[in-house]
Amino acid sequence: MSMRTGSLATRFHRWWERVATVQGITSAVVLLGCGALVLYPVLFLIQESFNTGDPIVFPAEQYGLENYLDLVNELGVIRNTAAVAGLATVMAVFFGFVLAWILSRTDVPGRRLLERLMELPYYVTPLVGALAWSVLAGPKNGFLNQLWRLLGGQGDVVNVQSAYGIAWVMALFEGTVAFMMISAAMKSMDPALEESSRVLGGSKLRTMVRITLPLVTPAVLGATIFVFAEMLGSFAAALVLGIPARYYVITTAIYESTFSYPPNYAKASAMGLALFAVMFVTLSIYRRIVTRGVHTTITGKAFRPRVMVMGRWWRWMLVGVCWAYVFVAVVLPMGALLLTSFQRFATVILPESVFTLANYQTSLRMGPVRSALGNSVMLGLGVATVGVVIITVLVWIIYRSNAPGRGVIEYLVMFPQAVPRMVFGLGLLWAWLNLPVPIYGTLWLLALAYFTVLLPLGVRTLGGVVLQIDRSLEECARMCGASWLHQLRTVTVPLLRPGIVATWLLFFMASVRELGASIFLMGPHSKVIAPSIVSSWMTSGTELTAAMAIIQSATVLVALLILVRSVRGISGESPW
Amino acid sequence: MVNLFRSSQAGAGPIAGAQIDDTAAGRRAGPPTPQDSAPCIEVSDLLVRYGDIVAVNGVSFTVPRGEHLTLLGPSGCGKTTTLRAIAGLEPPAAGSIRIDGKLVHSKADGVDVPAEKRGISMVFQSYAVWPHMTVFENVAYGLRVRRLDPATVTEKVEWALDLVHMQGYGPRSAAKLSGGQQQRVALARAIAFSPTVVLFDEPLSNLDAKLRAEMRVELRELQQRLEITSVYVTHDQEEALAISDRVVVMNEGRIVQIGTPEEIYNRPRSRFVADFVGSANLIGGRVRADSHEPGPVEFEMAGGVLLRGYALHAPRGDETQVAVRTAYITLEAPGAPDGPNAVAGSIHRRLFHGDFIQYIVDWPAGQLVIRRPPTDVFEEGAGVVISFAPEHCILLEA
Repeated sequence: MSMRTGSLATRFHRWWERVATVQGITSAVVLLGCGALVLYPVLFLIQESFNTGDPIVFPAEQYGLENYLDLVNELGVIRNTAAVAGLATVMAVFFGFVLAWILSRTDVPGRRLLERLMELPYYVTPLVGALAWSVLAGPKNGFLNQLWRLLGGQGDVVNVQSAYGIAWVMALFEGTVAFMMISAAMKSMDPALEESSRVLGGSKLRTMVRITLPLVTPAVLGATIFVFAEMLGSFAAALVLGIPARYYVITTAIYESTFSYPPNYAKASAMGLALFAVMFVTLSIYRRIVTRGVHTTITGKAFRPRVMVMGRWWRWMLVGVCWAYVFVAVVLPMGALLLTSFQRFATVILPESVFTLANYQTSLRMGPVRSALGNSVMLGLGVATVGVVIITVLVWIIYRSNAPGRGVIEYLVMFPQAVPRMVFGLGLLWAWLNLPVPIYGTLWLLALAYFTVLLPLGVRTLGGVVLQIDRSLEECARMCGASWLHQLRTVTVPLLRPGIVATWLLFFMASVRELGASIFLMGPHSKVIAPSIVSSWMTSGTELTAAMAIIQSATVLVALLILVRSVRGISGESPW
Repeated sequence: MVNLFRSSQAGAGPIAGAQIDDTAAGRRAGPPTPQDSAPCIEVSDLLVRYGDIVAVNGVSFTVPRGEHLTLLGPSGCGKTTTLRAIAGLEPPAAGSIRIDGKLVHSKADGVDVPAEKRGISMVFQSYAVWPHMTVFENVAYGLRVRRLDPATVTEKVEWALDLVHMQGYGPRSAAKLSGGQQQRVALARAIAFSPTVVLFDEPLSNLDAKLRAEMRVELRELQQRLEITSVYVTHDQEEALAISDRVVVMNEGRIVQIGTPEEIYNRPRSRFVADFVGSANLIGGRVRADSHEPGPVEFEMAGGVLLRGYALHAPRGDETQVAVRTAYITLEAPGAPDGPNAVAGSIHRRLFHGDFIQYIVDWPAGQLVIRRPPTDVFEEGAGVVISFAPEHCILLEA
């Protein structure tokens, strides 16, 4: 063959000509760049977890398994983690199931609005949710306890700074995904299966117990396992509510060993990887259930789910349940937070209250807080803008080109999804701390970190939109003689525009509220808002913290409103 | 159309040129005669793999300048993959492709010209009309990519829209067109920049039957008027026969027969072609191979009746089937003078289709499907004499 094809030099020359195109070079840079961003911190994390010498020396002087074996000494933490995650999962799945059934299978009024409102707690974020519930139900000064004493009670009636409280907050603000999963399954169920039960004489209750429940069992089981894995890696609620009560779960234990003096990165890494391993196994079980479970209920046919007609009393009771949930998960906590942010001393007994704007003034004037706010917004704008450009090209290369290695990179960039954000943050900290590039402690590092941890979100959101675009629309441009860049500019990007806008806004929101990675990477001159809220909570007053949380939430809310307006009509934009 | 059915001229003689010539048949009266037509597209030993699956397995053919060649076959036979390999949208595993004498792909030589530099055009199955542009912008795309001046662009777009009867639609949004209109815009866009080669990937498959028939005629006229070389992919045998100069029948990644539409229809070489193109009766039995030359043969069918048939290949003696087109069988009342291959039978079922009547006829070897014009009426149960010309009774390769 090579006789015909000329010398090695000619062959190399032809190969080079073929590869050294704009598309070839861009593909190589983007694929390798994104792959390295993800892989680099993970490898550092693994390396550090086996370091049995001085934990802050790199490279390690001694390797061994001691860090993993030491986990046996953390039995209390492991027990706490299992208890909190288990409790939170039970609550989240129970709420999710009841709400999903009411909103997708009965004829309660205002279903569509309620369904949208169910997503709100997710946008509140667990950090703000935990702060708000602290204000509401903290020991001694929590609003509910104030009221209790006003009514003549003794001591505290509720205490959110406990295992139950942490689980409660986690279920409300991180369990939304259970509702989404179960309601998707209920909507794709053939209503004829329930109708036949009614026709054959089964009552509504009997139909629900004997038909509906068994049919959605696989979906509920899947949701349970998925949510449990999420709860294992949950951080913010345990940080805000657990640390004051010295109640540690695995994520807060990792946080403690990193920020105690001297920091024990090795121990933290081992704990982080152990947590990752448990989550990975749990999610694998989930995947197995999902792939083999639900075939009888979900047939791929498009059903217009028929709803059960409820009696008048039932209908109002059920809709009351939904609004009660919205009240407890959004209105009550945000109201408490808002009230506190305008008060000199947090109190629910309004006649005693002194209203003031001082908290907002302080937030916006106080140097560190102001710079943290400014930094967060700047990072949000920058990461969203640059990130969206890179993600667009990356997603195109993964799903449309035949660049070698694109499959591997697709898996790799989804990896941060499977790792708890704060474990990944720890990996990033250790990796960039030891890189001879002086970006540790700067906003550049935060920007890189945000982009890395948001890669899965971006690839999933935009990838879904790319896959919806008929491939031949792009191929046709090439057949008309357009180069790759010209085709991207004139056909792909205009067709992707709604998806690009959605991704930009999701990136912006996610950057402004980022906590898990930021808390490890923020330096004295590169403060950002979420960790600042945490430190304000630990060191300053509730009132100031509340104002900061409200400012952050308002920023996210504005972006959310634009998002809802701009993506109306595109499917697949939901952020999980 | 001249000489559509050679056999209709007379008796048993006329299958003189029984070997199938692979060059363009002289059916077209247009300028590119077979002599001056150096191959415009040359595909040799093309191999395309998807993972472990071989989609195209050693396909070779040439398309002379100005010819309209159709790749025909069932879904999954590799026809679209072959077309996409010519376009440069699918990387072949082996083989070479030349367009206009220029090597555009050869794995062995390390040559792979990207799609946009092959200078060819394509009409897609989904039309691929860009919804975010107007009709004008769609058609102008290829012209603007070539950096033509605005006046020329306008002129050429008008010309192309005119050709497809879409004059005046320029400013409309492409998203608001009907399927047929999108099809025309896609066609205008493909020809606007005057390419020498246009590839068609099942362009009519998404239209309803009536519109499809209309567009066939228009495509044929356009193709002959512009003298473009084209490769057309379809799974619709009727469409392939109606609009092509030559047809390449494919199955399971390989070419099974190449020929003019008449050759493919009248002289199917294999059971697959007889079955897939047109409708045919396959009659089982065994060949009496006295000679091993192509030509007349005798065939003893199940039931003991001896048929006179025709072999396109040198019979080997182990062939077990002959094919007879349903349209080439005549039915007569008993007592009429015997034609060749006259066998007695009786009408089992009569199905009135409008344009023809389909009879299921009992005969010694089981049942035959016969299509007659709606004027040939026989009652169910009536005795008939079945007959067909020997040259329409084609011995299939074993």
